[in-house]
Amino acid sequence: MLKRSKSAVSALGLLLLAGTAFAQDAEPIRLGVLEDQSGDFALATIGKVHAIRLAAEEINAAGGIDGRPLELVEYDTQSDNTRYQEFMRRVLQRDKVDAVFAGFSSASREAYRPIVNQFDGLAFYNNQYEGGVCDANMIVTGAVPEQQFSTLLPYMIEKYGPNVYTIAADYNFGQISAEWVRNIVAENGGSMVGEEFIPLGVSQFSQTIQNIQGAKPDFVVTLLVGTAQSSYYEQAGAANLNLPMASSVNVGQGYEHRRFTPPSLKDMYATVNYVEEIDSPASKAFVEKFRAKFPDEPYINQEASNSYAAVYLYKQLVERAKSTGLGDIRKVIAAGDVCVDAPGGQMCIDPKSQHVSHTIHLAHVTGDHSIEFPAKWDAIKPYWLGEAGCDLTESDPSAQYTPSNPPPAKG
Amino acid sequence: MDVFNLIFSFLYQFGDAFAFLVLSACGLAVIFGMMGVINLAHGEFIMCGAYVSTSAAQAGLPLALAIVAGAVAAGIAGMVVELLVIRPLYQRPLDTIVATWGISMIVTQGTLIVLGPSMQGVGTPFGSFAMGGYSYSAYRVLLMAAAVGTLGLLWLMFTRTRFGLLSRATIQVPHVAEAMGVNTNLIYSLTFGLGAALAGLAGGLYAPTMTLVPTMGASFMVEAFVTVVVGGADIFLGTAPAAVVLGVIKAALTGWQGQLAGQIGLLIAVIVVIRILPRGISGKILKERA
Amino acid sequence: MAEQSRLRRALRLIEGPQTIGRGPKFWIGFALVLAAACIYPILADSYDVGNNVYFFNWLFMAMGLSLIWGYGGSLSFGQTAFFGIAGYCYGVLTINLGGAYGMTLLSLLLAVGLSALFAAVLGYFMFFGRINGVFLGIVSLSVTLVLERFMAQTAGPQWAIGSARLNGFNGMGGMPSLTIPWPGGDIVLFPGLPLYYLTLALLVTVYLALRMLVNSRFGNVLVAIRENPLRAEMLGYDIRKFQLAGFVIGSALAGLSGVLYTSWGNYITPASMGMTAAALPIVWVAVGGRSDLTTTLIGSLAVLIVFQMLTIHGSQYALVVMGVLLVITVLAAPRGIVMGVVAVAGRLTRRKEGR
Repeated sequence: MLKRSKSAVSALGLLLLAGTAFAQDAEPIRLGVLEDQSGDFALATIGKVHAIRLAAEEINAAGGIDGRPLELVEYDTQSDNTRYQEFMRRVLQRDKVDAVFAGFSSASREAYRPIVNQFDGLAFYNNQYEGGVCDANMIVTGAVPEQQFSTLLPYMIEKYGPNVYTIAADYNFGQISAEWVRNIVAENGGSMVGEEFIPLGVSQFSQTIQNIQGAKPDFVVTLLVGTAQSSYYEQAGAANLNLPMASSVNVGQGYEHRRFTPPSLKDMYATVNYVEEIDSPASKAFVEKFRAKFPDEPYINQEASNSYAAVYLYKQLVERAKSTGLGDIRKVIAAGDVCVDAPGGQMCIDPKSQHVSHTIHLAHVTGDHSIEFPAKWDAIKPYWLGEAGCDLTESDPSAQYTPSNPPPAKG
Repeated sequence: MDVFNLIFSFLYQFGDAFAFLVLSACGLAVIFGMMGVINLAHGEFIMCGAYVSTSAAQAGLPLALAIVAGAVAAGIAGMVVELLVIRPLYQRPLDTIVATWGISMIVTQGTLIVLGPSMQGVGTPFGSFAMGGYSYSAYRVLLMAAAVGTLGLLWLMFTRTRFGLLSRATIQVPHVAEAMGVNTNLIYSLTFGLGAALAGLAGGLYAPTMTLVPTMGASFMVEAFVTVVVGGADIFLGTAPAAVVLGVIKAALTGWQGQLAGQIGLLIAVIVVIRILPRGISGKILKERA
Repeated sequence: MAEQSRLRRALRLIEGPQTIGRGPKFWIGFALVLAAACIYPILADSYDVGNNVYFFNWLFMAMGLSLIWGYGGSLSFGQTAFFGIAGYCYGVLTINLGGAYGMTLLSLLLAVGLSALFAAVLGYFMFFGRINGVFLGIVSLSVTLVLERFMAQTAGPQWAIGSARLNGFNGMGGMPSLTIPWPGGDIVLFPGLPLYYLTLALLVTVYLALRMLVNSRFGNVLVAIRENPLRAEMLGYDIRKFQLAGFVIGSALAGLSGVLYTSWGNYITPASMGMTAAALPIVWVAVGGRSDLTTTLIGSLAVLIVFQMLTIHGSQYALVVMGVLLVITVLAAPRGIVMGVVAVAGRLTRRKEGR
């Protein structure tokens, strides 16, 4: 409550103090932060803002980026696409920041991308999403379907069986992810026994639960987005559905295992690039630092970890490029070896798509909602865009592609 | 046997949809249908009931009492809101839109700031039962019973008790009521409080089955408004039959074509019904009576 | 000769019983404000110019709602439906036809026309079905929600009109901005000076045209219908036709807002037709003062600016402050903020002038 604003004030205060410790002629590097601190998405995104503040504070305490202090320019986009448009314009045109960290929902990203392109700015999208953005003005640290499903689904099919039922949010992310699931299940010898798309905002699932029971799958792939849809877990548990579940988007983003009572998420398997339960030294150190600064944080999710690592990624890019200009930074990216040690594992930028490779952890939620990690895959690359024909080192289409709408074949 | 299972499953799904519509709508039916106040903060009264009942249950209160506590808390909040904001606006129903929208913003954001982005839930009680190869949640049957029970209790209250009589009189002919010595301010307060309490009851009843976030009331708003308006001004002649009609349509479409069809079908049904019955269902029934 | 006097009669309608503000003082004030608006972009930085164009885009929808609700008495909760339809039509048309040869201007007209057509159909359905009052609000709200729900799931590749993919919830982007064909090189109207002046010119034209409309016989009948529909009918007017006409004009203005917004941001999304978006114009217009065009214009602009300022500087408390402002405004200024301010100013000057 008051603690939150107090910590915000103290964060700003520390930043200011740190700022004054720099040489007088060191011009600050300004980072715009456009995140939803209120509204429907705040649950998953407040942690991102805190993570960025934590990273900025650490970097400034250690001397800044190339001796220049890092300054944050924050706006609350209120989970509203029009606010993203307004503030992206403001942050690039008036505040003249050097880079922007922006967006949670794909809609918000698509709303601000034209503006970033218009001003030739640099934006980081630190969220998992449906994949396919081929845009030289974007660096995406979020996980993409090929990273999450190519690891998750073969494991599930081998462990539980070939029959799969998908319930997905009925919009781009859900539909494209479901398409990925369909393809990968087929490749691995499984079969889809059902697929259901749920409009956003729906919170009542009795019919869906009945349909799943009728189809008798071996496990259910849940691609539910938004706080209303996550009510499914409670209702499925109450109806004693008792089927294992696989997801790329739940648990790691909205920490359902902490919000719903056990055992509603029992035997949920999620492939994430970070959750706070990960047991590595890097992860533990990160959690400790985070909780020291933000003791009331409900959960440190994968988006928070991505945002934290992305600040360090940006620091490396600027220091190696010796400038904040997009052209210089992209030359560094083209070298192909820009890597940073994120709390979940190493992240390296792929020059063709400007997405990052991840260490993917398989999180298994047990009956009492604790998490164990039965499997881990290192250095899973975001291979699909490059293979499909997106090569940002050669051309910049500034478009989003999907498996059924791939980049046009080169003539 | 198979036909029986089919019928049972359809009745269950219909009852589920019916319960959701009735419980979302009856609080709004009192405040909007009876009093004419367009309450865009209805979802926030629901959220208040959900949060209070969940906190009470987590503090150790048995669930039934916790839900009642949630309803009472929402009722009290409603009376406060009525006193401060709504009372000057009875002659200006369309201005209640802006005022309640403002209250909705204050409460939603305030809850986010004070209580954080979510609250941990209490699980759904009473487990499940099996019928015909399907497993159903027993609690949801309880919700259906609660919906019917609420309608019944409201009917008893408004037709058999003194308060109900005074309330209907004050709202229909306020000057006459005042001339007869009724404390109209108190009646308004209590009636609005009753509407808010009913919303809080819906919130408390559904809280064990849903995510508890400050914006959770939004899931109920559309269903509540369309049910009340399709029903028309009278709760019993309007809201209940409206919930039956819309519940059948929603359950049938969802079962046949999926959730999207159910949602869009519900909205289209609203448009069609209002076109056929421009005063809502109860308007048609009352006109026929007169 | 006869034509000149008809024109003069029409122009005289700029002042009348349905609009506040008359006489030389008002119009001098108007001219001053207009002059300030014209000089402003030269003095302000490019961000502010683009931002103000963004505000202007919404004002057409506000004025349209003022016509339908403030003057006509019909609470239409679904103006965003026409906003969205026109925006999507513009996107589909310009992606398919391209931006050269003034195609975008043609697309603008077609998109507004299509949304007006849809408004005519819906309006016929509602007004000739004798739906009014709050039922009208619910039906129009249902329409905009159906559109939103439907469009949000059009993400797949099969949902495309020509080469324009509807792209579902993520929104349609990549459409060209409004472009004016020019011999030396087309002028693409990015948010900047030329777009500012174009939007301002449109705003002033629409405002003056609406003034003439509401002060004419049509406007007087519309207000009579608002005050007492039964009496208006008994006086011989077919109120359904007047309500329909008002609805179509107001909704076409909402469509114009939609096209301008889509062109401004090169983006349109189903969320623009959702529940929150639908409530916003009602809030602006109600707070600004719905029964008069001038108060609507000034009030809506003020609310938009204040809300953005609060969001920028208020962090998480912004929404709380906005809510409080709304409640206080409704309680303290029943006819809208602008009328409230005018009333207070009037009382002060009267006191100064002495008893």
